[in-house]
Amino acid sequence: MKTKVRSSERQFALTKRRMEPVHVVSYWILVLLALVFTGNVFAADVAGDFSTANKFYAQGKFADAANAYEKILASGTASPNLLFNYGNAEFKSGNLGKAITAFRRAELLAPRDSEIRTNLNFVRNQVQGATVRESRWQNWLGNLSLNERAVFAAITFWLTFLLLAAKQLRPARAAKLKSVTWIFAALTIFSGTILGVQAANHFSRQTAVVISAQETARSGPFEDAQNAFAVHDGAELSVLDRRDDWVQVADSSGKSGWLNKSQVEILPGA
Amino acid sequence: MSRIIRHIFLIVAFLFLAATGLISSRARAATFTAALDRDTISLGETATLSLNFEGGQPTKLPPPDVPGLQFGTPSRSFSQNIDLNSGQVNAKLTLSFPVVPQREGEFTIPALTADVNGQQLSTPPLKLTVLKADAPPAAAIDSGNEIAFMKLSLSDKKVYVGQMLTAQLQVCLRDDVQDFGNFQFTSQPADGFTINKMAQGQNQREQIGNRIYTVIPLTFALTAIKTGTLSLGPFTASATLVVPSANDQGGDPFFRQFFNQGERKQIPLATGTLTAQSVPLPAENVPANFNGAVGDYQLTATAGPTNLTVGDPVTVRVMISGRGDLGSVTLPDQTALRDFKIFAPTSKVKYSDQLGMEGDKTFEEIVTPQNSDVHEWPRFSFSFFNPDDGQYHTLTEHAVPLLVKAAAATPMPAIAANKNSAPENQTPQDILPIKENIGLLAQPSTPLVARPVFLAAQAVPVLAFLAALIWRKRTDNLANNPRLRRQRAVAQLIASGMDDLKKLAAENKSDEFFALLFRLLQEQLGERLDCPASAITENVIDEHAVLRDAPQPMREALHELFQLCNLARYAPVRGTSELNSVAAQFEKVIHELQEVKA
Repeated sequence: MKTKVRSSERQFALTKRRMEPVHVVSYWILVLLALVFTGNVFAADVAGDFSTANKFYAQGKFADAANAYEKILASGTASPNLLFNYGNAEFKSGNLGKAITAFRRAELLAPRDSEIRTNLNFVRNQVQGATVRESRWQNWLGNLSLNERAVFAAITFWLTFLLLAAKQLRPARAAKLKSVTWIFAALTIFSGTILGVQAANHFSRQTAVVISAQETARSGPFEDAQNAFAVHDGAELSVLDRRDDWVQVADSSGKSGWLNKSQVEILPGA
Repeated sequence: MSRIIRHIFLIVAFLFLAATGLISSRARAATFTAALDRDTISLGETATLSLNFEGGQPTKLPPPDVPGLQFGTPSRSFSQNIDLNSGQVNAKLTLSFPVVPQREGEFTIPALTADVNGQQLSTPPLKLTVLKADAPPAAAIDSGNEIAFMKLSLSDKKVYVGQMLTAQLQVCLRDDVQDFGNFQFTSQPADGFTINKMAQGQNQREQIGNRIYTVIPLTFALTAIKTGTLSLGPFTASATLVVPSANDQGGDPFFRQFFNQGERKQIPLATGTLTAQSVPLPAENVPANFNGAVGDYQLTATAGPTNLTVGDPVTVRVMISGRGDLGSVTLPDQTALRDFKIFAPTSKVKYSDQLGMEGDKTFEEIVTPQNSDVHEWPRFSFSFFNPDDGQYHTLTEHAVPLLVKAAAATPMPAIAANKNSAPENQTPQDILPIKENIGLLAQPSTPLVARPVFLAAQAVPVLAFLAALIWRKRTDNLANNPRLRRQRAVAQLIASGMDDLKKLAAENKSDEFFALLFRLLQEQLGERLDCPASAITENVIDEHAVLRDAPQPMREALHELFQLCNLARYAPVRGTSELNSVAAQFEKVIHELQEVKA
């Protein structure tokens, strides 16, 4: 028993010697370097794939380019530029719905990018049939991404409460801080309200983009249901309901019907 | 006065009779009868079916349903008369249905059943004979006996399948017809033709036989849809005419034309049947791209822009104008154009005549060159069969040269280069080119507002504010309570004094030890007894009310500590261990003293 205790003490002593502060710092530096290095390697891989896809595009091999961009996206990485190029490649391949989906996803990441908006509008103009468009109010909401608006609201919220706390800690300066506190409180209420509306729009007002050439919406969520109305590639429809593999959609004229999930891509609101 | 009484008596009598009449009419059995105003009519005429209810009103009456007869919306008439002899009120409701036959033949209107005052009443079946409406014989027309008639004619007797032609219907009204209206076709049979648009021409006056007739021309556009013998007609129609009344033919004709109100008559009209021979299109010399267009057409085609990059859209506009069934004209098959991706074309037809036989049809399609080897949009050909000369014709537009560059990521068109020019407000010709750099990468993730960490972080400023608020309250409390402030100061002094005592005991500094001990005792007792520390002596232990009620051992310990302090001034120096035990005793007493209620 005594021997065991001694050996464990020795082990502890050894460990202690190994984990001296200098060693700990070295260890963490190594970990960080490894992380940075693997990150760089990963980024280099993605950049290489991106460049290859761009080459396909330049050669006019749009379907190959679209596949290459899609592969990068499938790895869980995204950027506005990647989605922008993917949208271009899908458009040139004749897939309007997939192009619109890509541009709209890019717009969610970079809401004020005029080039994305230009291409999105261009592709939308090629789409036939009734389609749902964002209202002026939704377009205004979309000028800031949901995360940007959340950060803005959080900053005003934090500043308001920190100013209130400062007034408690420094009562002598309370009078000076009063007007600033009111301004930030008003900003907090305003930005919080807008954030709430945008969040509700984002999570509840989903859009289904048709990604097949020509489909027929059915009157019920099953294959044998009667035809309700025809939808075209790229048509943007409001999502009303979901059931198993079916999505209930409505077009701008108010007609509603069911489409299979494989025929559409679901996008969140602005 | 007596007149007034007589009037009142009459009104009362009338009301009494009316009341008794209503009661008696209710008591009487209800009746339900049906009648046709005529039992034989011609196709195009309208009969009237009257349903009469006496002694009650129907609560439920299913509408008549006879195949071949169309029943219109009924008109209601209600009458009530009082039989002063019997004192009974006869109420009668009549529903009149206009009956329009759809074809000739014998029809039976079945027995109708209605629920009247809870009774199920039925009518016997009624028979209606509908005769074929024939065109009047030529002799009758020439004699001027026909007040109105219709004539039908075809523009061609030999047609090609798919050819458009016209048929003209003339409605002729004799000069003594004062008014003409409610003209309605009852049948327009056409075997092998489709009847398209109709246009009404200018009315003309024409002498037919020995009478002047007003001729109303109606022209129909027809398309032959099959080969063989095609037939058109007989067209049947009905119209309402106002003609001079037969009972008012006397007097001066000049005045008669102003004062004769005329007689309204509904008359059937019918035409004869016309035939035409439809022949198939010739099988010889059929152009390869012929897709069924029959008529006489011209072709115009344009394509642009011509300087573009692979994948850029080119808008091709094809306009086919001329005479024929433009609605059925389609673009020739273009699947052989493998170097282009061709989107489904849109088309717009603009007719230049009322019959829809002349005009132009414009096709607009978006095509995109798929590689940089494309140098032209190939020449475009359109073939049609012209029935006027019985030959096929092919129209060709020249090829449009295209300058197609390979798609590149680097060049930026002007629209994208100027970011301040709000490109979304312009109408670009193509999408903006791809981007060279991948840009800032991001992992798609849940929005911040849906992340628990983000939401929890929002509690931090609230907690900071609450902490500051509590601190502020406590500070204010302390500032307003000197006793509490002294209690805290003494507690702090005792805590630091204990350390000093131990230090002095360890250094064996007896004088300083007991001096400090005495001072600490004064401070603690002064705080407890709420009096100045300098005023504290051993006597307060027995004299002050607070300490008098304190536990005896504590009081004795306090006495002992005071005495030790006094003795230390005279007694020899004590050892470290003894000072340590005194310090421990002091610590214990101080703790007990702090528990004493002040």
